[in-house]
Amino acid sequence: MEPLNTINYFIAGFAVIFGAIGIYIASLVIRWRNLRNEEEILSEVDNETS
Amino acid sequence: MKEKPLKLKILDWVTILLFLLATAMVFFYAPMERVMGAVQKVFYFHVAAGWVGMLSFFFAAVAGIIYLVKKDEKWDLIGYSAIEIGIVFTLINVVTGAIWARPIWNAWWTWDPRLTTATIMELVYFAYLMLRQGIDDPERRQRFGAVYAIVGFLSVPLTFFSIRIFRTIHPVVIGGNDPTAVGAFDMTPLMLQTLLFSILVFSVLFIDLMWHRIRLGQYMNRVDELKMRLQD
Amino acid sequence: MQAKTSFIKALSAVIWKDLMTELRSKELISGMLVFSLLVIFIFNFSLEMDARTRNSVTAGVIWVTLIFAGTIGLNRSMAVEKDRGCLDGLLLAPVDRTAIYFGKSIANLIFMLIVAAIILPVYSLLYNNNVISLGLILVILLGSEGYVAVGTLLSSMAVQARTRDILLPILLFPVIIPILIAAVKASNGFLNGVPFNELMTWIYLLIAYDVIFTSVAFMVFDAIVEE
Repeated sequence: MEPLNTINYFIAGFAVIFGAIGIYIASLVIRWRNLRNEEEILSEVDNETS
Repeated sequence: MKEKPLKLKILDWVTILLFLLATAMVFFYAPMERVMGAVQKVFYFHVAAGWVGMLSFFFAAVAGIIYLVKKDEKWDLIGYSAIEIGIVFTLINVVTGAIWARPIWNAWWTWDPRLTTATIMELVYFAYLMLRQGIDDPERRQRFGAVYAIVGFLSVPLTFFSIRIFRTIHPVVIGGNDPTAVGAFDMTPLMLQTLLFSILVFSVLFIDLMWHRIRLGQYMNRVDELKMRLQD
Repeated sequence: MQAKTSFIKALSAVIWKDLMTELRSKELISGMLVFSLLVIFIFNFSLEMDARTRNSVTAGVIWVTLIFAGTIGLNRSMAVEKDRGCLDGLLLAPVDRTAIYFGKSIANLIFMLIVAAIILPVYSLLYNNNVISLGLILVILLGSEGYVAVGTLLSSMAVQARTRDILLPILLFPVIIPILIAAVKASNGFLNGVPFNELMTWIYLLIAYDVIFTSVAFMVFDAIVEE
């Protein structure tokens, strides 16, 4: 018996898996960068005032 | 803080390597299932993601208990990080389940106990996020988060149990057949190896992500402190 | 002995205070009641409740009505404490925190049972069909107890949040799903005349859930009220 042709679902499934993990990692990176920018601005202000 | 510790760098690379290896194993090493075809290969990461989801919510509940006993901010960060990661992996678990079910059960969604429980669990932790968002005082937010992480996790097995009994007493009327029977298959040794390896790899991935998330949280606290100091 | 009597005193004081406040204002019970009746009427038209439909949906309608009304009641009873500063007063008083939790729970349970005691006869009257039976009363007691045990805990968190009006149902509903399933199934059985011993599984399950939820809720309640 031929297996069902489910290649489209296969692709969709792995797109979801890799996509979700990728998006999460990207969110970590972006949050980290934003924090670093914020920290830089803050420390500049800190230096100016002191 | 800015420099990544060496151990974390090593763990990152190990995780990436293992993940590629697991993907290769799923794609090429595990045999093609005779009836379901390619979509069955989603199964390995589907189970592994579900496992990581459960594991992280379990950690969050334990971290919640420790937080309530010790009142140490560190445990709140651990619990919150675990829940964030758990939500991502449970989402993967539910969505890949639906993608698998479409060709095999002929429906995106069935009221199967596991599927339903996983989705309700996801809703519990969305509620957790909303609870945290609604409270401004950080100390109170941590306490309430811990309480809800415990109560929410406790309800998960009870929900599963209720739905399970609900099913056995009341068989499926529409559709007529037991959904677990359709799409069941015998696992060959190669498949089992792939599954166990996937679960291992996802557990390592979980640890790696946890580490990064906790570092991010610590960084956030530091920047907040800096901000507070400047406001004074 | 001393501790025991003071616990019971504190407990009855909390319950008494709630009941007296309610007796004077009547805003909580009347709000819950009017709301319940409206829900039943909305169900009647949205489900087209003819005799055949009613057989299968009555249990669900009763429980959804009770749970929605319960959410209103829980939110109101905790919000009143919060806004009038009663909660802070209670916490400052040198009483056992668990007395406060059990006092509030019992008061909330009483309100919910009063609502149930009114809407069940009204429902029977509206559909000319007696739904009240000993079994159903037992299920409503057990189900409401579990619901209120979690509800009191979560509503005391929800009222302290910015988003308190929408937060309670979102926090509460996913957690009480196991209780709701057991309660609806058992009620449905009793309404359709299924013999008692066949429904024992659900009754035991409800008892087990009540015990689990009540004990955990009272263990963690301390963490919510300590300031």
